Amino acid sequence: MSALTSNRAHFFSTARTHPGAWWLAGLALALSASLSSSLLILISISAGAMLTVWLCRDDAPWSRSIRFYLFLGAAVVLMRVLFRIIFNLADSSQDIFLSLPSISIDLGLGNSLHLLGAVSCLSIQAALVDGFRLAAIILSIGMANSLANPRKLLRATPGALYEIATAVSIAINLAPQLIASLKQVRRARGLRGHSKGIKSLTGIVIPVLEDTIEQSMQLAASMSARGFGRKGNRTPLQLQLTRAATFLTLTFLTVGVAMLLFSPMQQAADLLVIIAGLVFAAITLKLSSTRTSRTKYIVQRWQLADLLIVTVSAIILTAAFSGMFSK
Amino acid sequence: MIEIKNLSFSYLDAEGKKKSENPQLNRVNIKVAPGEFVLVCGPTGSGKSTFLKTLNGLAPNFTGGVITGELLINGVNLIGAEPYEFSHLVGYVNQQPEGAFVADIVLDEIVYSAEQLAISKEQISSDVARLSKLLGLEELLAAPLATLSGGQQQRVAIAAALIAGAKVLLLDEPTSALDLQGASEVLALLQKLAKDEGVSVLLAEHRISRVIGSVDSVIVVHGDGSVTKGKPAEQFNDSRFAPPIIELGRSLGWSPLAMTSSHAQLLWQKAPAAFQPKELHQPTEPVLEVIDLAVSFGSVAAVKKTNLTLFGNQITALMGENGSGKTTLCWAIQGSGTRTTGSVKTSAGDPKELSVQERLAITTMVPQRAADLLFLNSLADELYESDTFAKVPAGTTANLFQELAGRIDTAIHPRDLSAGQQLALVLALQLVKNAPVLILDEPTRGLDYSAKRALAKQLELVRNAKRSVLLATHDIEFVAMVADRVLVLKDGQVIKDASSFEVLGSGEVLASQIAEITNTPGLITIGQVHQ
Repeated sequence: MSALTSNRAHFFSTARTHPGAWWLAGLALALSASLSSSLLILISISAGAMLTVWLCRDDAPWSRSIRFYLFLGAAVVLMRVLFRIIFNLADSSQDIFLSLPSISIDLGLGNSLHLLGAVSCLSIQAALVDGFRLAAIILSIGMANSLANPRKLLRATPGALYEIATAVSIAINLAPQLIASLKQVRRARGLRGHSKGIKSLTGIVIPVLEDTIEQSMQLAASMSARGFGRKGNRTPLQLQLTRAATFLTLTFLTVGVAMLLFSPMQQAADLLVIIAGLVFAAITLKLSSTRTSRTKYIVQRWQLADLLIVTVSAIILTAAFSGMFSK
Repeated sequence: MIEIKNLSFSYLDAEGKKKSENPQLNRVNIKVAPGEFVLVCGPTGSGKSTFLKTLNGLAPNFTGGVITGELLINGVNLIGAEPYEFSHLVGYVNQQPEGAFVADIVLDEIVYSAEQLAISKEQISSDVARLSKLLGLEELLAAPLATLSGGQQQRVAIAAALIAGAKVLLLDEPTSALDLQGASEVLALLQKLAKDEGVSVLLAEHRISRVIGSVDSVIVVHGDGSVTKGKPAEQFNDSRFAPPIIELGRSLGWSPLAMTSSHAQLLWQKAPAAFQPKELHQPTEPVLEVIDLAVSFGSVAAVKKTNLTLFGNQITALMGENGSGKTTLCWAIQGSGTRTTGSVKTSAGDPKELSVQERLAITTMVPQRAADLLFLNSLADELYESDTFAKVPAGTTANLFQELAGRIDTAIHPRDLSAGQQLALVLALQLVKNAPVLILDEPTRGLDYSAKRALAKQLELVRNAKRSVLLATHDIEFVAMVADRVLVLKDGQVIKDASSFEVLGSGEVLASQIAEITNTPGLITIGQVHQ
């Protein structure tokens, strides 16, 4: 295989930026998208995420996963519009976008199901907004995944969250790994050929899955052989306390974010839950750093580029919260 | 340092029961002293890797299975413990370091284990300085791992395995993917680690001819559950894995056997034996012509403008250092790989322009990762599909496979075959296609000498059918055994194209061990020496 030699060295290149900055930016964009109902803004967020990846990505395995997210986003938009055309809900709007013959299926319960028919511009637009909202969220997360180096992210994670972060980073690694082995296996398949009776998919799926799982296991084995998983010299009580605090942190933060997303009206209550989560987070970090079981020999520092990334995403998020993104 | 008492290890069958009739390791008793350099060998599939993995908890914790007995490392019994409980005592390096790297930058990778074990920053700094000096990594600490050569990556893996203070180092075929220079660098380092640093080194290797002179003792994993340890001279009664130097000594009745090339040279000079001249096969007409072929990836030129011709009735070896463009050239010739410019001429046209089916009638290839070609659920299905596809009588592939790998239950899942058996299967699948050109990329990785002899026999049959074989490999001894002609590739260019006894002859960079010992023009492989 050719060596991964990258000649690109940008100010925002993933080799220099903090992976946390990209994840904060990705989450901020996703949150902004979920709060928006303007097609133009949703398309801008999607395009912005894509453009950022295109400008900043390195030639690393995880950078290639953006294609997968792009495909997923496009599929979501297409499905939304297609479903809207098929399960057409007639509305009073006069602007007809597409006139198709209507099909009525009598369900025998007094009402009948109408499929197709005249599709109004308004309902197509609504479908597009729904589709692009999901696509923008997918692409924002995809941006973070393609730009943040998962191994560096793992390194930058506070000790108390280490076990969870490991599981997450191995999971994140899976998508790029799948793509890499897919490419390799497809190339190898051309060397074998197959008779008509054999489904070509079988020949791809099995070796790809085998390869991906084997690689993940190899990484896990290597980490374990090199001391990962050692509990260090913390007492059982300290460990229990840390675990409890970690659990509370995650619960409060998850519930808080969920409340914010699903009922953005009661902002005071949401904020309170999130603040409680942050307090627990601080306690967790304090607890785990009192008697650390790991050394941090190399510390990734936040640099100007990282601060810029976070500032820009904070501005976008503030705009979204102040209602500028909804019409 | 290591004391193994009554150690037994068995894999579990599908019902979760111990496969008690043939345990992988059966009541093993072995001691390894501090600073001892030990070679671990045995026939293909005998369980060398499993044996090494039991010594740091990877078996059974990552492989499944049941382990019993006592495993004392530095006086502590660690039988059945998780691998992380071994990490300050035992370092582990595997065949392909790139798959086991947890970081992207050399320094991050080296310190990982020390960070996990909460070693102080000051201590880590001084250990990094000491190890990077010892392993020649000082200039590379800030480099991305992906940009390093295979040999450099192995050295990083060794430093990373030793950073937490381990006094035992286990290496599972660390040089099998390395070129001659990379391999000898790594081996010289291991010797130094054992001698100067007092590290007990256990090295599993197939290319033992160059190591055997420098090890203190040899552990043989016999494959029937027994494991023995002894002096190198006593341990090679089994010709399945005896290197050429031992074979030579034995066939000439040397006593004691020579272990180093210099000793063997003396013995040969005293009484040189008669030998058969290397029989080179007369090539028939050209079957494939490469015209002005070049491949570049971005700004990197992997293969520069190349012209060469492959003839029928000829086995051609393609040799060269890692990164010299061997694999890229193979794929480009086969037709499915990238090409920047140039073309390939065959009787059916350029393979690149042909459909998959038409291409396979002209060129077949066994790639490095042979297992990628297997996708059905049983060996029987694979063999049947192969016969159907190649339109040959039922059982043709099966017969060929049996000649290469012996009799194997066809109900087995292809993924459960050993690496050597998988290679044999893929080779059989490709051979029945009967294409005039057969390309093999590193086919001898992980094969013992008897498996190599079986492979050589098949390749000779292909040649005798007036077909052409192109063989990309690092394995000098194998090339000496089968090849008629050798192409040497350097930085994407063919720098040498000559007969095998010229390229592998004594005094050459790629001299085979027999050529080195005998220093006799025209003599390069053990098969030539009269017994």
